[in-house]
Amino acid sequence: MKILIIDDEEDIRYVCGSSLELIGGVDVIEADGGHRGIELAETEKPDAILLDMIMPDMDGSATITALKKNPETASIPVIFLTTRTLSLDFARMKSLGAAGWVVKPFDPLTITDQIKEIINK
Amino acid sequence: MTASDLRSKNDFRLSKQQKMQLDIKIKHKGLILVAVPLLFELVFLAVLSGLLRQAEYKTWQEMHSKTVVYESGALSRLFHDAGIAMGGYALTKSPLFRERFDSIVSSIPREFKHMKKLVGRNPSQKDSLKRLETYTNSGLKLLSSARDAIEIGGEGISRVRSLYSEMKGVSKNISTELDNLTSESRKIEEDGPSARKQSDQLVRIFLAVGVLFNIGLTFVLSYFFSNGITKRLFVLTDNANRLARDEKLSEPIKGTDEIAQLDTVFHNMADALAEASRKERAIVENAADVICSIDSDNRFTKISPACRKLWGYEPSELIGTRYLNLVISDDVEDAAIATRALRQGQQTASFETRTYRKDRSIVTVLWSAFWSPSENSMFCVAHDITERKLIEEALKESERRVRSIIENTLVSLIVIDRFGMIELVNPQTEKSFGYPAEAVLDQNIGILFPQFMAAEDNFIEDLFAQASGRIADLEMMRADGELFPVEFSLSQLETNEGTRYIANILDVSERQEFEKLKREFVSTVSHELRTPLTSIRGSLTLLNTGMLGSLNEKGERMVSIAERNTIRLINLINDILDVERLASGRVEMQFDNTDLSSIVERSVESVRSFADQHSVKIEAEASESKVYADSDRIIQVVINLLSNAVKFSPKDSTVTLAVKEEADWVEIRVIDRGRGIPEKYKALVFERFQQVEVSDAKRKGGTGLGLAICKGIIEQHKGTIGVESEEGKGSTFWFRLPKALEAEAVTA
Repeated sequence: MKILIIDDEEDIRYVCGSSLELIGGVDVIEADGGHRGIELAETEKPDAILLDMIMPDMDGSATITALKKNPETASIPVIFLTTRTLSLDFARMKSLGAAGWVVKPFDPLTITDQIKEIINK
Repeated sequence: MTASDLRSKNDFRLSKQQKMQLDIKIKHKGLILVAVPLLFELVFLAVLSGLLRQAEYKTWQEMHSKTVVYESGALSRLFHDAGIAMGGYALTKSPLFRERFDSIVSSIPREFKHMKKLVGRNPSQKDSLKRLETYTNSGLKLLSSARDAIEIGGEGISRVRSLYSEMKGVSKNISTELDNLTSESRKIEEDGPSARKQSDQLVRIFLAVGVLFNIGLTFVLSYFFSNGITKRLFVLTDNANRLARDEKLSEPIKGTDEIAQLDTVFHNMADALAEASRKERAIVENAADVICSIDSDNRFTKISPACRKLWGYEPSELIGTRYLNLVISDDVEDAAIATRALRQGQQTASFETRTYRKDRSIVTVLWSAFWSPSENSMFCVAHDITERKLIEEALKESERRVRSIIENTLVSLIVIDRFGMIELVNPQTEKSFGYPAEAVLDQNIGILFPQFMAAEDNFIEDLFAQASGRIADLEMMRADGELFPVEFSLSQLETNEGTRYIANILDVSERQEFEKLKREFVSTVSHELRTPLTSIRGSLTLLNTGMLGSLNEKGERMVSIAERNTIRLINLINDILDVERLASGRVEMQFDNTDLSSIVERSVESVRSFADQHSVKIEAEASESKVYADSDRIIQVVINLLSNAVKFSPKDSTVTLAVKEEADWVEIRVIDRGRGIPEKYKALVFERFQQVEVSDAKRKGGTGLGLAICKGIIEQHKGTIGVESEEGKGSTFWFRLPKALEAEAVTA
């Protein structure tokens, strides 16, 4: 299983990636922004994308919109990695085409299961 | 003898006289007074007239008798003269005698006729007159025969002699009858002077007696009536004087005449006056206000007993003293000015002064004064207005405060009528809306709304419906056209002029701005905290797994502490965010008809491992109820309550989750056997950061926000939440939710 993490925060990418790799045994690829993430999604074809909502240059909304528009990446489940917890935010994520969301701060021990549950739903 | 004895005696005399009075009206008395003397005079004149007529008749009778006597003598003389003439003719045959004889004989029938006329009316002389007529006729025949015999001569002369002797007989008879006829007249003639004298005397006596009697009668009647009237008038006058002296009146005058009637009226009037006076006295005596008269020297001349209560003085203590002595020095001038104005022609005055009571306490008095120039006195009513002044002062103070509040409040207050017409605005309204008060007074409140400017129909009705008795979030418009958010509510106000409404308008633009900033701040802080916390928590957790290499014992412990406290911090941030969102109403609830069993199952499942850690058993009752709720939020509540119950339950005890269903709502009860909540904390447990013991946060964990969040969530569901607890025996936390909507209602 291969998961692409798109987040501008290197620490988050590292902790999240480590959790997925160490606890979940998942292959992780990382991108520090939307543009890079889209490229990697096209080329690496991950099983799922963990996408940060708030990023400079190209934020989560723009990124997912681009991913969903691109036939190469449209089918890849996108899971938002977010600090937002309002129903409104979740509804918006859903409307953008997100498969689900993982709220920061996540539990490193259970995050892989959470992602799997979302992908399998 | 005292005056009252004299009066009593007088009363007795009057009443005796009154008894003697005939019960005749004055007008009738007047009539009698005129009529009786008049009647007497008429009778007197009639009698006098009769007497005079009688005297006249006697005079006439005397004259008549004289005539009769004279005439009878004439007749007798005619026969005598005829006899002489006849003798002369017989002797001389002289034609002179014959002419004389013829002349006399021709006069006899005439004379007889005259005689007959004189005595013919007297019936008693009728027979005598008849006989006289017969004798006269016989005499005439004899004389005629004698004349014829003389003329024949010879033998005739002898016949004359026999005729003459016959004539003598006839003459004698005639004389006899004439005597008969004239005897009465002669008697009358003889008695005439004495009778006339007697008659004159009678007239004189009658005249004198009549005049005297008339005078006497007039005097008697005058006395009688004047006595009746004047005495009674005296009684009346006496009563008037008694009334003036305020004394008891004499007994009422008897009778039904005008004076008696007047006296009755007088008595009625006196009774009415006495009653009025009694009432007046009663009013004065019992009046709560002091009623007094004050002379030109400002001294009390009379004062009612109410002065005891008002000033603590007896009336006798105040009479003769100057009323200004009671007035405190600061108010003396005002009182003196008012008094002076009264004396200078102002009829009435009303002024207030503070006065000293006998105990030197101060009482405020309202004087209502009236100046009587005739009495040269001031009549006053002094009314205690101390309490009223205090109330007035309190009212003024209250009004000042209210005014100050209204003028200084940051809420715009607008008083409108039921049509929305503006009657009053406070300064904040002018400030908020940028209109001077006069620009909006008598304008419709709608001018402050953009919708009204767009001429929306029924805008005012809608405004009343929307904001009467509750706060409506509306948008209003300033004079420069700028729109701004307000909290608008209308409260009804009953005034003397009818129902009015106060529009309370709170400009919430600043608050909204602040709220927005706060939300952004919380959101930002939350985001900014979450991001580093994600890294920290992840790092620590991964470190703690040992997958990144082993740490020594102390190192592992430190990492565990760091991880645990990081999780605690994360929970605290989450709870703060929840509380903030619930308080600001920004939590979007996803309401739906939900099976309660599913909520219960998921909640119990979530806390199962936590309960196991605490060796607490959770028992949940099966339920088929459905509620209208946001299931995730209710699960959050149930988890919170169950977690709390587990946390505070002793080991190996049971936490029970019970469900109770009623007609409109469903109650979920979480029952533990823990230490219970002291009574004084029951009301506080749902407040933020409130825990029964300060150490609970450390010992049991938790942020102190869980129950506040539960309360917020349940209230968003229009439900209620509460706790029943007995210290030492456990607690039961419960909340009620509305039951699921009926299918039709949901569809609708």
